[in-house]
Parts: sequence; C-alpha cells; structure tokens
Amino acid sequence: MSYLEYNVKYVPTGPRKFLYINWPLALLLIAVASVGFLMLYSVAGGDLSRWAEPQMKRFGAGFVMMIVVAMVPIWFWRNVSAVAYGISLLLLVAVELFGETGMGAQRWIDLGIVRLQPSELMKITLVMLLAAYYDWLPLKRVSHPLWVAIPVLLILLPTLLVLRQPDLGTSILLLTGGGALMFIAGVHWAYFAAVIAAGIGLVTAVFESRGTPWQMLNNYQYRRIDTFIDPSVDPLGAGYHITQSKIALGSGGWTGRGFMQGTQSRLNFLPEKHTDFIFTTLSEEFGFIGAFSLLALYALIILFCVVSAIGNANRYGSLLTLGIAVTFFLFFAVNMSMVMGLIPVVGVPLPLVSYGGSAMMVLMIAFGLVQSAHVHRPR
Amino acid sequence: MTRTPLRPLAAILDARRKGADPDAIERANTRQRHEAIRTELRGVGEGRLLVLGVMFFCAFSVIGARMGVLANSEPTENRAVRTQVEILAQRADIVDRRGRVLATNIETHSLYAQPQEMIEPERAAQELVKTFPDLETKRLLEDFTGKRKFLWVKKKISPEQKQLVHDIGEPGLLFGPREARLYPNGRLASHVLGGTSFGREGVHAAEVIGTAGVEKQFDDYLRDPANGESPLELSIDMTVQAAAERVLHGGMKLMSAKGASSILMDVHSGEILSVVSLPDFDPNNRPLPPTEGSPDDSPLFNRAIQGVYELGSTFKAFTVAQALDLKLVNPATMIDTRGPLRWGKHRIRDFHDYGNELPVETVLTKSSNIGTARIAQMIGAERQKDFLGQLGLLERMPVEMPEAHGGMPLTPKNWSEISTMTISYGHGLSTTSMHLAAAYAAIANGGRKITPTLLRRNGPAYGERVMSGEVAATMRGMLRKVVTEGTASFGDVSGYSVGGKTGTADKPKPTGGYYDEKVIATFASIFPTDKPRYVLVVTLDEPEVYSFGEKRRSAGWTAVPVAAEFINRVAPLLGLRPDVEPGRPTGITLTSN
Repeated sequence: MSYLEYNVKYVPTGPRKFLYINWPLALLLIAVASVGFLMLYSVAGGDLSRWAEPQMKRFGAGFVMMIVVAMVPIWFWRNVSAVAYGISLLLLVAVELFGETGMGAQRWIDLGIVRLQPSELMKITLVMLLAAYYDWLPLKRVSHPLWVAIPVLLILLPTLLVLRQPDLGTSILLLTGGGALMFIAGVHWAYFAAVIAAGIGLVTAVFESRGTPWQMLNNYQYRRIDTFIDPSVDPLGAGYHITQSKIALGSGGWTGRGFMQGTQSRLNFLPEKHTDFIFTTLSEEFGFIGAFSLLALYALIILFCVVSAIGNANRYGSLLTLGIAVTFFLFFAVNMSMVMGLIPVVGVPLPLVSYGGSAMMVLMIAFGLVQSAHVHRPR
Repeated sequence: MTRTPLRPLAAILDARRKGADPDAIERANTRQRHEAIRTELRGVGEGRLLVLGVMFFCAFSVIGARMGVLANSEPTENRAVRTQVEILAQRADIVDRRGRVLATNIETHSLYAQPQEMIEPERAAQELVKTFPDLETKRLLEDFTGKRKFLWVKKKISPEQKQLVHDIGEPGLLFGPREARLYPNGRLASHVLGGTSFGREGVHAAEVIGTAGVEKQFDDYLRDPANGESPLELSIDMTVQAAAERVLHGGMKLMSAKGASSILMDVHSGEILSVVSLPDFDPNNRPLPPTEGSPDDSPLFNRAIQGVYELGSTFKAFTVAQALDLKLVNPATMIDTRGPLRWGKHRIRDFHDYGNELPVETVLTKSSNIGTARIAQMIGAERQKDFLGQLGLLERMPVEMPEAHGGMPLTPKNWSEISTMTISYGHGLSTTSMHLAAAYAAIANGGRKITPTLLRRNGPAYGERVMSGEVAATMRGMLRKVVTEGTASFGDVSGYSVGGKTGTADKPKPTGGYYDEKVIATFASIFPTDKPRYVLVVTLDEPEVYSFGEKRRSAGWTAVPVAAEFINRVAPLLGLRPDVEPGRPTGITLTSN
C-alpha cells in the first residue's frame, strides 16, 4: 500500500496531531524511566549528580525526540527505511575499521558531537527495513524462497558485523527480533522449523568446536555459558555476577529491604551495578513486589503497542510497531532472565532503566516511530 | 498504482449509461480491494499474533515465576567456597598483665590480579609501579600477559594504596579482605611476641600463623575460635617493659656494648615482668633470618633466653650458698686465698691480690676466684652437680617460648675436680640469663625453686626447697654487702636496698681459648633485700667504658650502673616504696634516647 492511498481526510494534521499521540504509552515510558532514576540515585548512594541527573537529562531529550519523530508522517519513515538501514550498515562497517575500543569490545564510533553505538541504531533500522519490505512485498510471495532469502540476508549481514565486535547480546537481539518480524509478516512455518533445527545444530557445533583452532566463540563467552550452567564452578571469576545478583534477589525477599537499604549492590559487590545489573538493586530494595511491578509496567507497554498495531490498517505501521515491541520485549526479557540466572550473561541493558545514553536515545526514537504509526494510522 | 484501471470496461460503460460517476465506482473498487487485503492479512496475521501473544505470555510467566522463586530463596553464599576447608582468619589478642593490648588484628586488603580479565595490562603494570616502587614493570607485565589466571601482587596494602590501585580502573586488579596481625607498640617486647606470617591464603581470608615467640608457642590457643573473646594474658608489664627497654638501650650505648639483655622476674611467682634483648626488631615487619654472619648477632636472636654464656662470678653465690647449707663453712670461716692456685697445668688467678686468707663473706663480696675454688673443693663434684641441677641450671628452661629450646646449658663432659673448681666461679658451665634469674630467685624467696613463666599467675608458685631459709637469709645479707662494700658499689640505688653479684666472664673464641678483651658482663641482683620481691639480671655483651682514665670492662663498671638505673626507674612503676635509709647516688644518670 502506498502512502498516496491513505485517505488524508481521516488522518489528523497540524497541531491536532499532538492530541492523537498514544498518551497512555508515553506515560508508561515516563513511569519506567522514573523507576530508573530512583534506582540510579540509590545505587550512587544517594548521589543525584553521579548517574540519576545525566539520565534524567537524556530521558528529557529522548522524550522530545520521541514527540518530534511522532509528528513526522509514518510514510516518510517508510520511505527512508532503506536509507536508514544502509547508513547503519555503513556505520557498523566503519566501527569495524576505525571504531574505538571500550571495555573489551569495539562498539563505539566518535562522531565528534556524540559517541554512537551503531549496533544500537541497527536495532531499529533493521525493523524499519523489514517492515517496509513486507509492506512492499505482495502477500502471495512472502513465503517464496527467493523473497525469504532477501530478508534473511538483511538480518544476517548486521548480525555478523555485530558479532565480530564482539557483542553477543546485540547480535542475538538482532537475529531474534528480525526473525520475529518475518514470522509476524506471515513467512511459512516450515522455514522457522528449519531454522530452529539448524540453530540446535549450531549450538552443538559451537560446543564441539571448543578448544579446537576454529572455535567459534571467545573464551570469555564460553566461560559465561559454563558458569551459567553451574555458577559455583567459578564463583569469584566469571560466575561472580550471577552469584552476587542471586544473593541480592534472595536478600530482597518479597517486600525488599527498603529504598536505599540495599547492601549487596551498594556495597560494591556487583560491578556494573548501575548498568546491566541494575535490576538486582531494584529487587533487593523493593523485593518481589517492586520487581514484578516493573515487569507489569513493561508488559503494559507491550500490550499498548500490540493493541495499537492490531488497530492499524497500515501494514507498515503495524509491522513496525510489532517489530519494535518484540525488540523491546527481548531487551528486558533477556536482561531480567540473565540477572536471575535463567540464561547466560550477555551484555544487554535493562531498557529505559539502565544507565546509558546511546540505548536510551535509540529506544525513544523507536517509540517515536510507534507513536508516529499510531498518530498517522488510517481511520 | 494510484489509480487502477476500471475494469471491467463494461462496468464503466454501464455506469456512463446510467449517468453514474465513474470516480465513485473507482473509490468503491479501492475500498473493496483494501477490504480483501485486510481479510487476507487478518487470516494470516491473527494466527501469528496469537502465537506471539502466547510466547509473550509464557516469557512473562517464566520471568515472574523466577522472581518469586528467587524472592523466596534464602540468600546463600556460593557453594564452592564453602566446600573447601574454611580459612579462619580470627586470632585472639595478646595483652599484658594489666590487660593492655600487645598484639591485635587489623583489617587490611590484599591485591591480586586476574590477567584474563585485564584490559590494559601495560598501563596497569606502569601504574602499579608508581604506587609500589618495589615492583618491577617488566616482571609485572610478564605475569599479566602470561598464561597465569591468578597471581598475588601484594599481600598487605593500606587503605590509601587500595584507593590508588582502585583509581587505575583496571577490572583485572582485585582486592580481598585480609586480617593482619598488628603490634600497636612496635618494637616493645618484640622478642616475647615473636611474629606471625600468612599461612594458607585465600582471596577472602588468610590464615595468620605464629612464627616465633608466644605467637608460635600459643598458636593453637590463639587460633581457636572459642578463645576469640579471651585474650592471651602475659606476665609482662607493658610500662615496666617500656622503661626497661629505654634504660637498657641507653646503657648499651653508653657502655659501647654490641648487645644487652635484661630479665626482671617476680621471685615468688616466677612471672617475668620484663625481658629485653637488644638489638631488637619490629614484629610488624619481622626481618628475615640472616644468611651470613653469626646468628647471635641477628636482632632476631633472643639473648636472654637463647644466648648461652659463661656467666662468671655470679655463680660464686651458688657455691657459697651450698657450702653454708652443707654447714661446711660459716660466713666468718677463713679461706686460703694465696695465689695463683695451681691445679695440674691450670692456674687460677685473682683480679687483685687479696692476701693469704679471707673470710667466706669477703670471698664473695671481693669476688675471689681462688677462695671460691677452695670452697668448691670442700663441696666436691657430685654434690655441686646435684645442687646446680636442683636450681635448674643444667636443663632447658621451660619458658613458654619456642626459642627456649635453644637455651640448653653447656656442661663439661667430664665433671672433674678442675671443672668443679672453675664452675664454682662461673667458668666451664654455660647457661642463659634466664637460668641465672631463676636460680637467684630461689635465694631471694627463701630457698625455694622457681619456674619462670611468661603467663600471668596468681600468687606464689614455689617448687621444692633447695636450701634452708636461714642460709637464704644469710646469702641475702652477703649479696647486700657486695653492693655496699664490694664489687657492685655502683649498684646502690637511693631508697631501695639492692643486693647482687657481679660477673665478668671472658668470651670464648670459636676456635677455642678465650678472648683477652671481650667479656660478658653480668649483674644478678635482688631487691629489696630485706623482703625480696624481684630479681633482675642485666647482661652486657662486649662492654667497654673509659672511667678514671682507664679502659674498663668489668661488670662493676658496666652492668652494675645500668642495673642501678634500671631499678631506679622501674621500682616506682612496680609500686615499691623507697626506704627512708638514704643511699649514695650512683653518680651516673643514663638518659634515654
């Protein structure tokens, strides 16, 4: 469907658009971000200026960015999808060539004004491109092998580049998010069945290759898997994060120790306590109730996105919203599962809560796209 | 794509014929087409969304359930550490007789590295060397880039150093808590306390084990967790010990001695109130044993307990006491002192010529070797050996220190008559100062054997009787006269009646024979003589002092003034009241610094 087919009459124009923004969703985002501010304040030991204040400023900027993106018609975003994807891909290649190394991985690129993580950007632009692709592709051809191969390539290309950085978490996110979008778009079941079977084969291969010259993962990645399977193997080394965060969750109990009362996280037992492992602080200080409430807030965000997507007759807008919802879901599901020891430790932040500028910006732009799809849906 | 051709053409023609608007038909067609797509999409999309929804729901349930499980779990420390034998870092304090802390624990940190977690080993190595100049950049870099997974960088670091290392920001450099032994008084009583080192070391704790002194002797007690709240109480009095160390340090310098030791002991209970050996060391930073030179010259060597020397004329008191006890003589019996006394190829000489004969009392006060040897001849070898054995002079002192095992007296293989004669004035039998102190304590307390101890005792602890009370009283009177009229005249301390016996023994050469100019000067004293409470033994190693234009080495000129100053300082600290009897000033005041 082309944007010219929209009955412009039914789409709000001018300042009235502002009223059509999905405000409940925006309020939910503010609520989740506020949880983040509280936690960062607590983790810094009651110091506002260390982490909480910069995070607030970023969220403010991100919120404005979201509104701006929301005000731009969705068909504009559809038309720039391919270009956006192309730029992200170029940036990923640029990181590979001239990127800065930080914390053991080559992830950053310095644009002079901002230090950017192109892998973060890729998370949205991949969803945008795939949504545009399936919007353009007639439904009959969706399951044709040739037309399946193209999106698979579009997904694998950035995934492999990110894996080379190396950033296992983001590459899993890209792969799963892209696959989920293809699934929603209606690609035949058989493909997914085949991929899952191949995936199991790959996992076996990864483990079999360990110790051989052609081993497929870094040693530290193998260690993370080992310690996931049995954290007590190396309680002071790679298993340290998991063990300590489990202790923190256990000591929180049902009602928690109270705001600013966390010991495990505040006493510096946990490295990265303000980034990937901030969830432990929350569950220690507010217990099960606090942690579950945050999970409920996330679930509501997903729910609002899905409802908005179902009610959207515009296929691009609908697919984009669902794709972003899935990506967002993967973010917090992977982070929470990793902290609670359900899956191995991969470096994925808790969305909107963890301290970090790049991820926050990208997420707010993504929700801007969701809002744009919502505002400009055919009525 | 904006306009689809109107089909079938018949429809247009039909519409034209009816006068309807073809555009309206076009709109209707568009709507129809949209609806068809939407229906088609709904068919596929609804199924897929349902699957997605189920997956979301499952994921939320699993995460929520996991939260519940973890919230319900007891926070436990990881298992791997607990399966190992736990390292107990706890160690009881050591206190003096009044409960003042001599040794305690302090929380410090250890610094270790996990090279595999390191990001910038080169920078880390360079920064570490800035904080710890004793490390080498090259060596560190080799370790950090090598195959090792774990290595200690520093066993003990201060909080300031910890902050500096923390500021390097290297995730591969890690800290572990560590209890370390602290001796808050530094060098005070260093030989008694000994020292500690780390035993088994873990990241979270390290065993502290005693390596010397009471720390080693009572290691099991100190490490027993049950004794965590009950410190080890020593007989040492910290104040007295501090004063003793200052006086002895000053005395050693003034007398140009290379070493000195002192023992102050309660004559009734055997409690050692202070024991000093100089040079000393700081147990917080215990030096390594020397690899060359004589071990006796190391600061680690405890001269009072390990050092076995011929203690010279101080032994004459035992000869005279035994002769009195056996009723062979009385204090007024005249003894032949014509010299030199020849016995086989040996000659016994006196320092001065004392004429043809002297009474027993004067033999002791003027310290006549010949006279004492004559008395020993009356006693005989067997009885002398028995008596010295009863006093404990022929066995190791059972003092509670591992170093006491080194203090085994050296006795002659063949206890011949000439041995008996030389031993009577303190040559041919080597013992420690501690032996001498214990034997003098027996004279002082009325004739009962004493076992010295470093632990606090309540009340007297007498052993078997070794001489009669009357003999002991007579001996005390004689020892007093040694100070008032004899060789130890510098030992008269104003206000406190001191008695004692000097001893100046030539040091034996390691190759055999004796040095002419190297002596061990000893003064064994008891005070107050009317009702003795303490025995003090001061020993100076190779003293030499110019007095009245002469180079003097004898104990009366060296050890005695130091002992006098010692008593002068310490007696008030022990709670002794000065007598009204005015004494002569020593004329020498030792300043300590």
